[in-house]
Amino acid sequence: MTAIPPVDFLALSAILLGIGLFGILTRRNFILLLISIEIAMNAAILNFVVFAAYSGTGGGIGGQAVAVVLVGLAATEVAVGLAIVLALNRVRGSINVAEATTLRQ
Amino acid sequence: MILEEAAFVALGGVAIATALLALLVRELVHTILWVAVFFVDLAAIYFLLEAPFLGVLQLGVYAGAVTILLLFGVMVTRKRIFSREAATGIGPVPLALALLVIVLVGTAASVVPSSAQPIRPYDVTDLSSTLFVTDGGWLLLLGLTMMGALAGAIYLVREGRE
Amino acid sequence: MVGVRRLEILGGVAVAGLLASLTLVLADLGFAPLAALRTLPAANVDVIPATSALFSFTSLGLVFEGIFLTAALLVALASLSRPSDEKGAAVFFGLLLLATLGMTLAAIAADLIFLLLAVEVVGISTYLLVGYPRRDPRGLEAAMKFYIVGALSTALSFFGASLLFGAYGSTNLVVLSQATGTVGYPALALAGYGLLIAGLGFKLTLVPFHAWAVDVYDGAPTDVTAFLAGGSKKVGLVAFFLLFIGPVSLVVVRPLTCVGGVCPTPFDFAPTLQLALGVVAVVTMTVGNVLALLQREMKRMLAYSSISQAGYMLLGIAVGTAPAIAGATFQVLGHVFMKSGAFLVVAAVAGLGVGPLIDDWRGLGQRRPILATAFALMLLSLAGIPLTVGFLSKFVLFSAAVEAQGYFVWLAVAGVLNSALSVFYYARVLKVMYVDPSPEQVPAPPALPLGGIGYARAAAIAIAVVAIVALGVDPQPVLGGLQSAANHFVLTGP
Repeated sequence: MTAIPPVDFLALSAILLGIGLFGILTRRNFILLLISIEIAMNAAILNFVVFAAYSGTGGGIGGQAVAVVLVGLAATEVAVGLAIVLALNRVRGSINVAEATTLRQ
Repeated sequence: MILEEAAFVALGGVAIATALLALLVRELVHTILWVAVFFVDLAAIYFLLEAPFLGVLQLGVYAGAVTILLLFGVMVTRKRIFSREAATGIGPVPLALALLVIVLVGTAASVVPSSAQPIRPYDVTDLSSTLFVTDGGWLLLLGLTMMGALAGAIYLVREGRE
Repeated sequence: MVGVRRLEILGGVAVAGLLASLTLVLADLGFAPLAALRTLPAANVDVIPATSALFSFTSLGLVFEGIFLTAALLVALASLSRPSDEKGAAVFFGLLLLATLGMTLAAIAADLIFLLLAVEVVGISTYLLVGYPRRDPRGLEAAMKFYIVGALSTALSFFGASLLFGAYGSTNLVVLSQATGTVGYPALALAGYGLLIAGLGFKLTLVPFHAWAVDVYDGAPTDVTAFLAGGSKKVGLVAFFLLFIGPVSLVVVRPLTCVGGVCPTPFDFAPTLQLALGVVAVVTMTVGNVLALLQREMKRMLAYSSISQAGYMLLGIAVGTAPAIAGATFQVLGHVFMKSGAFLVVAAVAGLGVGPLIDDWRGLGQRRPILATAFALMLLSLAGIPLTVGFLSKFVLFSAAVEAQGYFVWLAVAGVLNSALSVFYYARVLKVMYVDPSPEQVPAPPALPLGGIGYARAAAIAIAVVAIVALGVDPQPVLGGLQSAANHFVLTGP
């Protein structure tokens, strides 16, 4: 039986969400954007696992089931993102979002 | 109990450090290496939370598949593998926004007990009956998402005659 | 020639399937002439779902299914007239149908995770739909922007959902909406709702989460834009409906019955959320309208107008009474015909070789009087001129807000002022089309029937025009149905 206060885990996931958001707002390289989004997504998954683990906060095994589904969903999203970026790379040759200037910002 | 708390502090610290390093280092390949460490570290946290199935899944899908996908993406889209990310500053507004989210969510989360709580371990059969029976609809929708992703992604990257 | 048949066969199957689904949904809604086709007994509709249920059939959910199927039908029909040498018909229609399936599943969700996953099915399909012309950098850039924003919205939404799960120990929408201020951790729940509003606000293009929409609508193939603006964007609205109104109430409304002798009481922070939604609604319509005034390109102008329309729809949720919900739903239905129709006309006009600027449309009223009239009707309806569906839906919505008293009256006033503001930019297009002279050089139309438009696209535009006028002149059959569907959700006002 592990004994760590649940609030510690929630603080960790909040910090990870903040790091992910910060990356999304500041990075311009598509791969780094993908990674930022994955960090934020992992924070959400961690939250579900934490709430499943602590009976004091309600929850239950459903939280782990959501986490399993989210891991699959996040991997799917990465694959779609890379497909878009590979197609774009082939027609244009750069994956910096800042250089995507055909559309006006 | 001291051991577990020490493990959490170490794993949590590594998670935050690797997430930051992944976004701040200049070499894209180094970024991916740090992210791989981040994913493995989270898997260890899941083991700490008595969720071994999720830990294994995290290792296989994130540390394995997603890392390779990202590495593959970097290799295909960059002529030189160790190409640098153009210097991007740390703007005050994004930093403030991220800190605001951390503070707000952290404040809201501070209502949960701050004393040590026992962790409920689960049997993996419980998990599978939730996943496949009670909440089977979630998996069904995940399947639909993957179907769309498969069809669309293959179409996008295929070399067709045009 | 094989290409021609491929596009037409695939599109024909898609149109037939959507038509069949729409028929069945109408039958399940109790549409009398189709009673023989009804598969869902009336007793199974509008029942408060069990706390373990993932989905439940509600009248409003079925209405939204019908609206989504209509939007997909219009777009699929019009797409039959696309150039037959275009590649990717299979993936286009496949992803269109998958997105529509996701939308219909979202409409009947009774579980937050089910809802968010259904929204994700729509998301993944539409990112790829935007990028399906895979040799066109503009479409792919739009797809990339759409993807980044969509993935961010997914992460925020699921983080919010995890906080709600932690606060109340369930993701079931009934459990969430019946939770009181003393159960669980309300502060955690408030943070969760905040993140969900942000995440789903991206989908619904609410200000300040709207910036992506214009670039994506502009860069996407115009037929896909018609689907995004008229159809898939509304999945965000459905999510707001389910979170804050149904399957049972959160903001103001109460559920149909008490469950097991326990009658739910609203959240302590419900009034705060309601005010926040109202403010976001007014800001969204104002920002959308002001920026639409400044646009020089047709697609971007329509995209900003689409953002402002999302504000009107959110107003209905903020007010939360039965007439307001009926008004918002009517607005969504009307918007399918107005905005999808308008984008389909834009695609037709672009096919005639007319440029992207509003000024490029000068003299269209003389050259193509029927097409210009159809477009003018859609714009008049968007502006809210009487005898169109756009006027009636806004009228129902604003009068519901006035009836609700309190600060809702000011929301209604802001809405009316915004409608007046929007007349300016629609009128400018009318002036360009009818008053300004035609350019000397007019490109030759492509070799399609009906002067380069094609039968199928003309049929889709005609359906939209007929619906706009019919719903505007005699709304009672449809509006009555919407009101009774809304009444199933709401017993009392605020």
